Order: sequence, then structure tokens, then C-alpha cells
Amino acid sequence: MFPTSRILALGFASVVIVAVLSASGGPWAAPGLIAAFGLFLATLWLAREPSDPKPAREVSEQAETLSHGQDNSYAAALDAMADPVFIVSGAEPDDLAGRRVVFANLAAQSLLRIPKEGALLLSAVRRPEVLETIDTALYGVASASVTFETGGAQNRFWRVRASPLASSPGQSLGLVEMRDETDARRNERMRADFMANASHELRTPLASLTGFIETLRGHAREDENARDRFLSIMAVQADRMSRLIDDLMSLTRIESNEHIRPQGRCDLSLAVNDVVDAVAMMALEKKVTFALDLPPRDLAVALGDRDQILQVIQNLIDNALKYTPIGGEVVVRVRSGLKLEAAAASDVHSPRLAALEGGRLSLVSPDHTADEIFHRIEVGDSGPGMERRHLPRLSERFYRVEGQKSGEKSGTGLGLAIVKHIVNRHRGGLWVETAPSAGSVFAVYFPAAPAKADASPVTVTKAS
Amino acid sequence: MSEHTLKFYGDELAQLKAEVSRMGGMVEAQVEDAVACITRRDADLAQSIVGRDPKIDEMQRDIEKKAIKMIALRQPVAQDLRRTVAALKLAWNLERTGDQAKNIAKRALILAEVEPITPMTRAIDRMGRLVVARLKESLDAYAASDLERGLAVWRADDDVDEHYNSLFRELLTYMMSDPRTIGACAHLLFIGKNLERIGDHATNVSEILHYEVTGEEIDGERPRWSSLEAEGLDGGDV
Repeated sequence: MFPTSRILALGFASVVIVAVLSASGGPWAAPGLIAAFGLFLATLWLAREPSDPKPAREVSEQAETLSHGQDNSYAAALDAMADPVFIVSGAEPDDLAGRRVVFANLAAQSLLRIPKEGALLLSAVRRPEVLETIDTALYGVASASVTFETGGAQNRFWRVRASPLASSPGQSLGLVEMRDETDARRNERMRADFMANASHELRTPLASLTGFIETLRGHAREDENARDRFLSIMAVQADRMSRLIDDLMSLTRIESNEHIRPQGRCDLSLAVNDVVDAVAMMALEKKVTFALDLPPRDLAVALGDRDQILQVIQNLIDNALKYTPIGGEVVVRVRSGLKLEAAAASDVHSPRLAALEGGRLSLVSPDHTADEIFHRIEVGDSGPGMERRHLPRLSERFYRVEGQKSGEKSGTGLGLAIVKHIVNRHRGGLWVETAPSAGSVFAVYFPAAPAKADASPVTVTKAS
Repeated sequence: MSEHTLKFYGDELAQLKAEVSRMGGMVEAQVEDAVACITRRDADLAQSIVGRDPKIDEMQRDIEKKAIKMIALRQPVAQDLRRTVAALKLAWNLERTGDQAKNIAKRALILAEVEPITPMTRAIDRMGRLVVARLKESLDAYAASDLERGLAVWRADDDVDEHYNSLFRELLTYMMSDPRTIGACAHLLFIGKNLERIGDHATNVSEILHYEVTGEEIDGERPRWSSLEAEGLDGGDV
């Protein structure tokens, strides 16, 4: 038997030929049109779907046809789609367990964590509004669509559209398409946030600039000493404003592609060395020494954007330098090849955990994935530490731990927010451990890069 | 016993699990909306949360009835029994979670009438997102019978407590600095406690999953660290 589509194509082609011949006039016109109509009907009849009702147990066979049978190329086409698409079959409206996913394309399989066929619909989707939409398609036999937000670490907006497919008594099929609308929504929200934050934070240095300009125009106009002093203060404020704008811009940039997983590779040991070299002068000024504990090259290679990982390390080391007193020590340690549980846990014997006001909190943790390996960077300072109650708010924009000296030393208040967003983008984690007067440790962990396929044999032996 | 009867019985178990999952989805949406109606000061949304609560109670009664009927008529043993009992326990837990969400929504109605306290509602939002994520993870784990994912939720239990303690202190500071806000802050305090309880329910879901799959309790003390407990001030259920 020919596939339906071929019959349809052949049939319609002959209809068109007969119709064109008859339309060209002559004695054949009327019978020609009738023949064309007859052919058209015949084509439809040949191409019709078999209409015998299918019992529920044939659902799996149907799935088989969808995935392995003659429609294999359709399944492959659906698999190639970037948007998650799946087909749901339902028996009776009140039979919840009867609603099954008879086919899920690759994107749907990985998003909903379901197998290609046979999963219970309720194990894939639980949102009541989405279930209602699917029910509308299955039993109301009408297309419907709905938007929802997933929540969780990587918050996303999805639009779900469900449309009815061929159904027979006791057995209805529906197609469910999902489209990621995160970008549009997020851009909207981010613009509002950016404006609110930027205008608020820029107002302070701007106010001081305007104040000094007033003074310089007024009574300080002739006073050379005052003028010099004011100008240098103004330079500092202008510098602060430009740093703030830089940070805000980079935060916006990172946020805008936060849910796109980075693809590059970055050796964490090398990255730490690069950053430590870059801040060597600053450390020398404060007489702060570095204690590095790094695995050899090629052991801690993370899956990620090198520039962004460098920025994370830079921000953490900058912070550590800022809070370490003169003559103190900053400890940077890289641990490679940790399971998620190990990467997310800190040293049990840490003195900070035992301290009365000390504690630890994970600020970012990745969704659980089995068997993924992580590399972790820890940056510890010998600074004043913090009380535990500040921990949950640390990565908030412009949050400052009260009692900290402000002034030249203070940053923009965006450093950790940037770290958090980069780590989130890399599906990594971030935790802090701190206690008053015992210093703080900030640890970030990134998923390990898969072993290079084209790695030279030399590296392989070295690694093993 | 004929194959038909066996198949029917398996279907019934699957049906029970599906209903618990659906109830979980409802409750998840309730909690999410409850957090949203605090941050957005959305009184209409709060009303609709309160209005949907009886539906959840009804689902719980329904699941309970079906599970009891199954135990009575089919007398399941081993894992089948555990699955039935787990469905019962989960329905109770989810119903309690739904009540907590309803309480939050009721307080949101009151909060919508007074001056907004933005820094505090932001803290609630942060804690709420964390709790919603945990509830989602644990229900995902239950739907997929994924023990490892359930355990991951169980292990990270102290994060919510940490947020709650931080919120508690922040609210105290806020109330002391401006006594006019005491009324609103007291409501926020209870909301924080409700969220903390929902976090505990999420942990319970993973404990029940562990019981369903292995038949044993999770080994070891739940990792938790509440300064209130340390000070002997644990408020208990609110």
C-alpha cells in the first residue's frame, strides 16, 4: 500500500491535469469537469484515514508506528525541531493514568525528563493550567494555548499550545507544542530593573558632583587649594560612576544570555594563576600574600566561557583582597573531580561552622543531575567575616553588610551579583561560609568539561 | 488470578499516583501564586487562591477514599502497599501545604490595604522562590520515582531555615526602627513561617518517596540548624 501522502499527491496531480485540459475549452469541457470531480472524490477516498475505532491497548502500537514505522521520517523531523513537541493520547476524560505521552521529540524528552514514548502525562506536566489546555484539545476538540512560568533556579516562561489530532471513540490524540518565551519577557523585566537600579545608585555620586560644581562656581572659585582637593574628589566620584555603569552593563549582558549554556573550556588552575598575576601589584601594596593550592594543568578543566570564569575569579579575589587586613593572607584552592554532593558541601571541620554566629549557605545550586562532575574554586580571606544573618542577601544587588566601612574601598555592590549570574548560567554552584572575626570562604563550582575527543595520547596518560 | 485483574490493579495504582501528581501541581501553583500576590500586591489573585482551596481539600478526600478502598479490597503487600500508603501520606502533606498557601493569600489581602514595605516583600519573594523550587524538585522526584533527586532536596533543607532566620531578624530590626510598620511586619513574619513550613512539607515529600521506593526511613538526622531552636524559642506550628 502506498503512503497516504503519495496517493494524495498523485490524485491531485491527475485532477489538475484533467481540469486544465477541460478548461482549455472544446467539446470535452463539461464531461472533463465531471471527471475531474470524480477523480478528486476518489483521491479523497483512497487517502482517508482508517476509521475503525482503536481500543486503548493499541496506544503503544500507535506509538510504535509513530516512531519506527513508515512515518519514521516524520518522527525524525519532529526530533530535529528545537522546540519541545509531544503527542498525548487519552482514553476517558476522568481516567488520569490513561493520559500518556505516545511520542516526545528530543527537545521534549530532555526538558521534561521523559522517555520517547509511554510516559504518564502527569509525570511530564503537573501545572493545572497546562493540563486544562491539553484536556481542551483532547476532549473539547479545540486548540488552546496558555503561558506559564517554571520557577526554580533557571526561571523560564513557556507558551504551551495544544491542538487536537485525529480522534476516535474512546481514544483521542492531541499535539502539544511548547515555545520558550523567556527572552521577550526577561528583556522587558530587565529593562525596568536596570532603570530602577541604575538611577538609584548613580544619584549619590551625581549629587556629590553637582555639589562640588556649585561650590567651585561659588566661593571656592579663587581658592586654589580647595579647587585641587575638590577636583580630585570629583575624579574619584566620576570613576565610581563609570565603574558602576560598567558593572551594570556587564550584569545586563550576562543576564540576557543566562539560560544559554556556555560551550567553551577553561582550565581553572591557569585561570586562577592569571588573575593572581593581574592583582599582584594591588596585593603588594597591602602586603597581602597568596597561598595557592592548585592541581596540575589539564586536571580541572571546566565547561564554560573563559572570560566569564575569569571575571568570577577576579571578583572573588578582589573581594578577598578588600577585606583582608594589611599583612594578611588570601587562600585560593582548586579542587577537581567532585561529585555534586561533595562540591556543594564544605569542610566539616571548618572552624567557621562551629562559631556561634558563623554559618554557611549555598547561594546558587544547580539542578540535580546524576553523575555530573564538578571542579571547585575556593577563595578564603582572613578578614572580619560576617554574621550569618547577612548570608541570604549577599548576592542581592547593592546589598551591603552593615558596619562595613564605605568609601574608596567599597565596590559597586554588584560583584557578587555578577558572580551569581555567571555561575547560574554555567549550571554551577556558589556557597559561602563565614563567621565573625574568622574570615569568609567563597566557593564556586563549575561542571567539568567532557574529555576532549582529540586529546593527544600524552595528555591522556598524564591525566590517568 | 487472570491477567485482566492484575492489569486492572496496576492501572489503579498508576491512577492513584497520577492523582497525587495532579494535586501536587495544583498545590505548587497555589504556593507560587501566593508568593506572587505578596510581591505584586494582587488582591484578586489572593481571592482566587482562597477560592481554590476547597478543590484541593476535595482532591485530598478523594485520594484518601480511593487509597483506603484499595487497601480494603485488594490488600496490597510490599511495594504496592507502600505506594498506596505513600499516596495517602502525600495527600495529607499536600493538603497542609495548600492550607499554608491559603493562609499566605489571606494575609496578602490585608497587606494589600496598607503601605507597601518593599525591602521586606523582596525578602519574602526570595524565600518564596526557594521554597517553590524545592517543592517542584521533590514533586518531580516523586512523579519520576527518582530517589537521588528526592535525596538532594532532603539534604538541602537548611537553606530555607537560614532564609527564615534572616527574615526574622530583618523584620525585628524593621519593626524596632519604625513601630508604625509593626502590623504589616507581623503579617510578614507569619508568612515567613508559613513558607518555612511549606519547605518542611517539601522535605516530607522526599522522605515519603524514600519510604515508597526503599521501604525504609532516611538514615540520619535531617540537616537543620535553626537559631530559634538553639535559643529554645522554636515557635512550632503557626
